[in-house]
Amino acid sequence: MENIDFDSALDRLEDIVEQLESGQLTLEASLAIFEEGVRLSLYCQKELKKTDGKVQRLLKKLNGELELIDWEA
Amino acid sequence: MQDYITVGMLNSYITRLLNHDAKLQDFWLKGELAGFRLYQQSGHSYFTLKDEDAAVSCVMFKSKGQKLAFKPEDGMEVLLRGYVSVFARQGKYQVYVEEMQPYGTGGLFLYLEKLKARLFSEGYFALDKKKKIPRLVNRVGVVTSQDGAALQDILKVIKQRHPGVEVVIAHSSVQGSEAARELAQGIQILNEYGEVDVIIVGRGGGSLEDLMAFNSEELVHAVYHSHIPIISGVGHEVDVSLCDLAADLRAATPTQAAQYAVPDYNVLHQDLANISDRIVRLMQRVISNREERLDRSMMKKVWREPGLLLHDKKELLQEKEKRLGKAMGDRIKEADHHLALAAAGLDKLSPLKVMTRGYTILSKDQRLIKDISDVAIGDELQADLVKGQLRVVIKSKEKIRRWKI
Repeated sequence: MENIDFDSALDRLEDIVEQLESGQLTLEASLAIFEEGVRLSLYCQKELKKTDGKVQRLLKKLNGELELIDWEA
Repeated sequence: MQDYITVGMLNSYITRLLNHDAKLQDFWLKGELAGFRLYQQSGHSYFTLKDEDAAVSCVMFKSKGQKLAFKPEDGMEVLLRGYVSVFARQGKYQVYVEEMQPYGTGGLFLYLEKLKARLFSEGYFALDKKKKIPRLVNRVGVVTSQDGAALQDILKVIKQRHPGVEVVIAHSSVQGSEAARELAQGIQILNEYGEVDVIIVGRGGGSLEDLMAFNSEELVHAVYHSHIPIISGVGHEVDVSLCDLAADLRAATPTQAAQYAVPDYNVLHQDLANISDRIVRLMQRVISNREERLDRSMMKKVWREPGLLLHDKKELLQEKEKRLGKAMGDRIKEADHHLALAAAGLDKLSPLKVMTRGYTILSKDQRLIKDISDVAIGDELQADLVKGQLRVVIKSKEKIRRWKI
């Protein structure tokens, strides 16, 4: 779960739906991917709420360093 | 001493001459660019304009060069407007350029078409190089003017769609001679920063000349080499800029670019809720399918009345038992009969039975005497009667012939 991004998680969720829909899996396999699906869904919901809406301006200083400063309209 | 003038006086005199000639003070000149140099420090450009067997030095100051709508290159045919004057320091006359445009049918358009064709053949617009725009973005990079309406439009749309999304602005001028370089640099520093999920590069609408920075090779290179997906939103509906072609996704306006960059938070949230519900429902179905199968199996008669399974066997067992009992009884009866017969036979043959009729059994030393030759005169024998025993002595022997058996 550490190395997943939102898009991959969403793709995997869709894949899980498809697999569950196919009805080809054993009960054990179904339960396993169901659990995975629940975890991914929680992860996605968490990702959706993560950010705080800041607006900043990125500057490159003369010494080559990058600097972020808050931006006011 | 001869009268003389100084070099400075000469140059001043010639300068005055030229400056007083109206024809030389404002004219259009056509020729081919050679040795074009733009000095970054001063911003002035120096080049030679030539045709088959003539050449003239030209200079274009920064203030004029900033208005250039194209990137001058050696070999390019141009039409320029300017005036002639003397560069006293070197004693040479040169053309001071006021404005310049590519020469030929449609000038600027032709130049653009050529540039587009070349960049296309070099693979900068290749579709298989396009990066996917992520569905969820936490941080959006914006390369545009911090003073432009485009930025306001972009920020407004982003706030509407997902208030949590962070925005990182890389300010750049969006027209003039510095614009192409600054736009490209904006993309580069956002890549260097690396923490944005997508970059919007754009500006509001304008004339073709205004938008030329977005047709610059420099910007196309920066867009192409960006590791972060780029959405181009340049405000013009009709023509497509080269930046649009190089970008991973083209939007018609900055507003649309923001819509492409940031998904509608509510829609995404709903999608996610739907997919979660669906997974739960599907899992319930997986389980209820099995429950149903189990129920169906359990409804079979055999589970409800497991005794039935034994019933047949029980009957079979009872029958066997019955047969066994009967066979056994028969066998015993038969054996009893044989035994009775045998006992009767045995009784008849018993020596006791014979002895009751008056016979005696003679024996000597436990051996039966059956013939007179078995004994000698004077032998002592034992005689067994039914109810007693005698000891007898042989007085004589005589052979008697009785009847033939």
